[in-house]
This record gives sequence, structure tokens and C-alpha cells, in this order.
Amino acid sequence: MKYLGIDPQKIKIGVFNFTCCEGCALALANKEETLVDFLDLLDVVTFREISSDRGEDYDIALVEGSISRDDEIERIKKIRAQAKVLVALGTCACYGGVNNLKNQFKIEEVVEIAYGKDKVETSKVRPLSDVVKVDLEIPGCPVSKAEVEKIVVDIVNQSEINFPEYPVCVECRRNMNTCVFDLGMICLGPITQAGCDAVCPNGGVGCLGCRGPAEDANYESFREILEENGFTMQEALERINFYNALPGMVIDES
Amino acid sequence: MKYKLPKEDINLKPFMSKPPRYNWKDVIMRTDKTYKCEIINIIELTPMEKLFHLKILDPVERDIFSFRPGQFLMLEVPGFGEVPISISSSSNNKEYIALCIRKAGRVTDILHKAKKGAKVGIRGPFGTSFPMEEMIGHNILLIAGGLGLAPLRAPLYWISEHRDEYEDVSLLYGTKDPPSMLFTYEYAEWEKVNHIDLLTIVDQGDDGWTGRTGLITELFKEMTIDPDNTFAIVCGPPIMFKFVCNYLDSIRLPMNRMFVSLERRMHCGMGKCCRCMVGSTFTCVDGPVFDYWSVMNLKEAI
Amino acid sequence: MIYKVITKKEFKKFVNGLINSNETFGPRQVNTAKDGKPIYQFKEVHSFDEMELDYTLSYSSLKNFFLPFREVLSRYNFTDDNWEQEIEYRVNPRVIVGVRACDINALCKLDDIFVNGSFPSPYYIARRNNTFLIGMDHLPMDDCFCMSMGELVVRQGFNLFCTDLGDRYYLSINSSKAFNFLRNVKTTDPTDKDDRQWLERRNLIKRSFNTTVDTSSLPNLLDIEFDSPIWEKWGDKCLNCGTCAMVCPTCYCYGIEESIDVSLKSSRRERFQHSCTVVDFAEVAGGHNFRPSKEARLKYRYYHHYHGFAENADEQICVGCNRCGRNCLAGINPKDVIDDLLMEKTDEV
Repeated sequence: MKYLGIDPQKIKIGVFNFTCCEGCALALANKEETLVDFLDLLDVVTFREISSDRGEDYDIALVEGSISRDDEIERIKKIRAQAKVLVALGTCACYGGVNNLKNQFKIEEVVEIAYGKDKVETSKVRPLSDVVKVDLEIPGCPVSKAEVEKIVVDIVNQSEINFPEYPVCVECRRNMNTCVFDLGMICLGPITQAGCDAVCPNGGVGCLGCRGPAEDANYESFREILEENGFTMQEALERINFYNALPGMVIDES
Repeated sequence: MKYKLPKEDINLKPFMSKPPRYNWKDVIMRTDKTYKCEIINIIELTPMEKLFHLKILDPVERDIFSFRPGQFLMLEVPGFGEVPISISSSSNNKEYIALCIRKAGRVTDILHKAKKGAKVGIRGPFGTSFPMEEMIGHNILLIAGGLGLAPLRAPLYWISEHRDEYEDVSLLYGTKDPPSMLFTYEYAEWEKVNHIDLLTIVDQGDDGWTGRTGLITELFKEMTIDPDNTFAIVCGPPIMFKFVCNYLDSIRLPMNRMFVSLERRMHCGMGKCCRCMVGSTFTCVDGPVFDYWSVMNLKEAI
Repeated sequence: MIYKVITKKEFKKFVNGLINSNETFGPRQVNTAKDGKPIYQFKEVHSFDEMELDYTLSYSSLKNFFLPFREVLSRYNFTDDNWEQEIEYRVNPRVIVGVRACDINALCKLDDIFVNGSFPSPYYIARRNNTFLIGMDHLPMDDCFCMSMGELVVRQGFNLFCTDLGDRYYLSINSSKAFNFLRNVKTTDPTDKDDRQWLERRNLIKRSFNTTVDTSSLPNLLDIEFDSPIWEKWGDKCLNCGTCAMVCPTCYCYGIEESIDVSLKSSRRERFQHSCTVVDFAEVAGGHNFRPSKEARLKYRYYHHYHGFAENADEQICVGCNRCGRNCLAGINPKDVIDDLLMEKTDEV
């Protein structure tokens, strides 16, 4: 900030897409009321959803999507070599995300169901951090634009970045929602990191855990709660496997 | 003598020296209004600690702001947040307020990047203070570990300004290594001008270090303390004051003459948010200065 | 206090009058739980009939009308190399109808902290002074224990309180505002019969309690039992999700957060409702957490509620509404925790 004698630095960003729906990159272009201000903070070098320019001199790479092919490994390594800071954007980049569903099946089976007889090169889905060093993870499916704005403002002002450590329930209760469990459905909110403003429970839908685990999440107690509410572990796992962002719930089970 | 009750003189309480403000009962204040200050000087003490001199810009506010040694203020860096900082300057200094700040989080990080001339806000002062009047006529033992020297600088100034009112004054200061020592440039003045016995020690010496090494409690071996006539003020990490106070207790220094300054993360400074609670007590209102008896009775204090 | 009696028909006219002239909130059903029970919240209402005054208890407490979950305390506007602070306390007047006794007493406890304590909060006072509260008695739910906490009777903190006498209400009028508004409708002085019926109704309410919690020895016991193994037992269940504190009518602990707007031209300083049961509540700069375990955090909430803090003269702040117990997924509730705590020592004797 200028009043401190510190000049805000525009950040040179490149946005890159890997295996995903590109929803996170699109989310960056949402929230029209502040979009102009937001873009003012950025020096966009590469961002195919909003500009046809392609450059190579970005400092911060925002990378969405997971790794599911060998050529993607090469590409992400190149981006890593160029970027001073590599940010995993969204649940796919941070945890593998929805793409993880594929990992439950044999690769040949998956290819045949999706593409028939065509030969398609694909491998198990992995998060970015399995392949390269990731400096910052912004989870969410899609990412919350408000949160991204906050992070960008912090970077521009050379300030520390903070994420909420507590579970979604805190935000859900602040919004005065009826607990999804009271409505007779499963919700992963109690073990999932907040920051999404409880967007799913706001709509009466149980949390799917896209933001990954809350700090010190109590898996054991949560398992008992599922049981007491008449849900089987199978039902819960189906939900957790959707994003595969809560490994603590799964690993403990075995 | 052993069972004689001490006389507690209410006249020595700091509020007694001020004219009563009968019409100030229950006033509603703009509790979040900050006094705007300019940073007029920045002194780098160590790579982690800087001393900031703040001048309150509005003359009326500058006049209103008065504090006692041991009190703290909330330092606001607009946009980044607010942190509690104990005041390290003389309570007589109307020109500027000195704050010794370690780089430790979001707010202090950005503050370390700030340049001279930057504008920040303060609220306060808040909290309790050291019993400077009650200590008159007694020996004073000041014991600091690490950054704990910062809150002791205000009572040190007070003592220097009223040196003839106090008997022997000693300052025991320990840090983890020689480069972490704060205010080294002032030691000579404290010793020679203010007649304060200064004993320093480090956990781990380095090549140039010729002083003592070991834990701060080692320093007690070099001195005799008169438990009937001494006040102690202890500032530093909890583990340090636990050992120090245990020692002082073992030589029968009464717990109500040992004072410690507790550190917690205050968010409001006004006994509302409960972030700085220790047991059922607010560090911001009932502290940060507690006598050791109170600390012993607080849950979670040490 | 002045007492009057009003027929329910006149009362409806009275409330509709208030609704037409002011922003008004009342109990409304927002959902149906899986067990078929209705879920109520205080919501804005536009006519008397939208309210369900025979509701049990609202899902969330009334606290957030006075201590919003998020509230801007001040703004900083940045100019070239300077800033200006901007503070506002303006609040629109509003009416809340159908408030339960425990919720009114909870507000009185918050008053002790935010109005009567040191550094009265202008934000809270602005909201409190601009709210017209109409209280209403009710038969307790199975797990209510406000009688054990001594919070069944209201003496202050409201404008008007209605005791249900069947076809009419027995009114306790506690403010000149309420008295003046009531001049618009027909009220009568209570007759001997009304007084008797009022007492009968009070006795009926008292007899209807099914849950008692003995908290009288807790201020000391919580100190003595600070390291009791029962905290580990209940702490192991706790999700640290903060639900108990968010629905509680008296949990007021908060945090302050600042954020710079995307334009970099201004910033907001916001107060947000926090809870000692939440993981980062006692975390300090540099990452050290003074309450690193689940049990320490859960215990702290009980400590605050039943030991009391210095700010309001060590008064217990629980009012016995049991919202925390009812809403806890893990089944942690004051009745069981306190019984456990008492039992532990009784067994050993």
C-alpha cells in the first residue's frame, strides 16, 4: 500500500488448463462488479478464456486441472520451470477432483466406455503436487472468485495469505441454514475446510468436500455420526470419492 | 514480623493521582476509532526486530494519549489488521511512542516492509501496569528473556527518571544467542548513567562472545536477593518465567511482589472478544501485568 | 412494570399496526426436519398471519440481530499516501415478535458485557436500542432447562411480554414506547381472575419441565475438574465445527478481520462471530495454539458458560435453551456433560 511506502506490484500471470472442465479459469472471469478492478491488478500474459495473447514471461502460473496424460507431465514441468510461483487452482489441481472417479476402474475399461474402440492415451489421475512442486493450493469446485480476489490482493500487497482452518459448518451456521443432516441427507461439511461460504448447504445440498480437510478434522467422530444417522460407510465413501479431497476419511478406514 | 499483615496503601494506586472524572461514568466511546500516527523513525535492532517511533498526528489526541509502564496498545495497519504491542518508550515522552516489533505474522510482516513516513493507527493504551509507586523505596529486580526486554523498557525509563526513589535496581537479561540481544546500544547508559546492575547471559555463545552462557536462572548465583525488600518484574517466554518465578518463590519472595507480563493475541483490547482469555481472566483488561499469585491461580497460564 | 390484559383479536390488530410501520421479524417455519418436526427461524414478516407464534424455539438464536455473524466495524479509505477512517453506527428500527423468555434473558447477559461492562460497544447499543422486543411465554420442550439456570422469568430487557391466557394475553409492559403504542388498541386492567389465571399459567410452565441440570457447584467444580478425564471423553466426540456457539444465544466471542477491496482504494475492518471450540481461536502469530486439543477447546466453552468470565462478574452465561445440545451432531449436550462431571466426583466419594 502506498501509505506504507510500499508500491503495489502488478502480477504477471499465466493461466493454464489441464484435465478439467475449465470452470475454475472461467470462474476467474466472473463477478462482473469487480472484474475491472481485478484485472487491473494483473498483467495477463496467457489466459485463453479471456485473451488470445500468448506470452512466456509470467511470474505466477495459475494451473487448473489434474494430470492424466504423459504429455501433461512435460507441459507442467515447463510451466514450473518458468513460474516463480505455481498455484494449483481448484479441486482437480489440488486433489485430482472429479477426474479421480476414473481411478476406481481399469484404464482399458475407462477408455472403452468413453471412446469406444479409439485408442486414447491416458493414465491414472494425479494432483499437480504429485508431479511438480506446488507453492499454493486454492481448492474448490470451482474456486471461489471472492477467495481468489483476496489472495491476489494479498500477493499484490506482498502480504501473507491466510485460509480458514475451520470446517464448513461455521459458515453454514452463520448463514442460518438448516443442518443438512436434520433434513436427512449426508453432508461432509463437518470435516471439510471452509472458505466457500457453505455454498452447497445454502442450497439445501450436502457438502461434497471439494475444499479438502479442515484442520484437525475429527474423522472418527464423524464416522460414528454417519452411523447414528443411519448412513452406511459405502454411502459416505461414494460422496467422498466424488472429489477424493478427504483422504483422511478413506485411509483411516483400511 | 513473619505474620504481620502488609499495609496496602490505596494512595499509591496510579488513579489516585488524577482528578476524579465524575461525569465519565458509562460513557459510550467510538471504541474502534484509531489515533493516526506517522512512523517518524525505524531502527533495525536485529533481522527479526525493529523499533518504530510513532508520532500521533492530531495534537489533541497526542495530549489525551498517556500510558503507564507495562500497558500495551493496539497497532492498526489499515487493510492488514491490528496487533497488540507493549509500549517501549518513556511514559513521559510526549513526542513519540516507541514500539519494538518482531516479524511474526501478517500485520508485523507488512510493517517491517513499511518505510519512514508511513501512517498507521493506534488504539489504547490498554491493560494493567507495573506498580511503580508501590515499588518506591524497594530494590527492583527486572528479569527479561528475549523480546521480553521490550515491555521492560518503559519501567526502565521510569526508574531512570525517578532513580533516587528506588534502592538497588538490577536487570537480568537472557537471549538464545548474542545476535538476538536487543537494545545493546543502550546498555552502557543504563549501567553508567542510571546505575542499574546489568547482567546478561546467552543460551549459546558465538565466536565473539566473552560473556556468560547458560540459562537465565544461572544469574541468580551471582547475586543475593533480599526477599523482604524486593519487587521483581519478569517478562519473557512462559517457560522462562515459570523457572524464574519458581526460584524467586523458593527464596520466599512473596508472590504478590512478583509481576509478570503475559502475552496473548488480543483482538479487541477491551475485554469483549475473549481471544486473549487465560482461564476466566482477560489478558487485555485484567492483564497483561499480573502478580504471580494471580498467574498461579489462572488455568492455562503457564 | 405496568400490567394489562388484551384479547388476542386486539393483539393481532396491535401487531399488524407495528408490522405496517416497521421492519418486523417473527417466527416462521423454514423447513421440516426428517422426523417431521417443523424448523423455525426469525424471519421478516409482512402480516401477523405469517408468524407462527405457537412455535417451540427458533433454530438459531436471536443473538445475530444484535451481534451479526459478520459486521463492518470501520472502513479505511486510501488516498495517495494517506488514509481516513470511517465509522458508522446507524441502524434502522425494527420489531421482533414472539421472543422466548430464555432468549430475552440471554440478551440481558449480552447487555452486561456490551452495555454495562467497561468499554460499552456502540455497535451493539445501536442495534439494541433500535429493537422493539415483544416476548411471549411457551411450554418448555422436553430438553429445555432454563428453569435450572434460573432464566425462566423475565424482569427486564424487553418492551412487552405476553403470557398466554387462552383467548387473551396478560401483558407486562416494560417501556414507554410499548405503553404508547398500546394506546392505539383496547386493553383492560387485569382483574382478580386474570391474575389467578396468570399464576396458573406460570405454574403450568414450571411443572412442564422434564430436564434439570444442577450447575450450582460448577464455578468451583470446573476449576477442580480442569484436568478431568471426562473432557477427553467428550472432546474426542467434538467436531470443532462451532455449531454450538453459532446457535447459542449468549456465545459472543469474536474475531476481527481486515480485507482490502479489489480496487485497492479502501479496506474493511470486520468483526465475525468466532468460537472457542473452533480450531484457530487461540492461535497466535507464528502459529502457536494455546488450545491445541479438541478437549481443551470444548472444555473452554463449558468453562465460559458455567464458570463465567471476569467481564460480567463471573456470572454463568448459559440460559438453558439447549440449542447447542439439540444441534450438536456428535450429541454433546450440557445435561450429559455436566451430569458426567458431577457423577465423576460422586462416584469417587
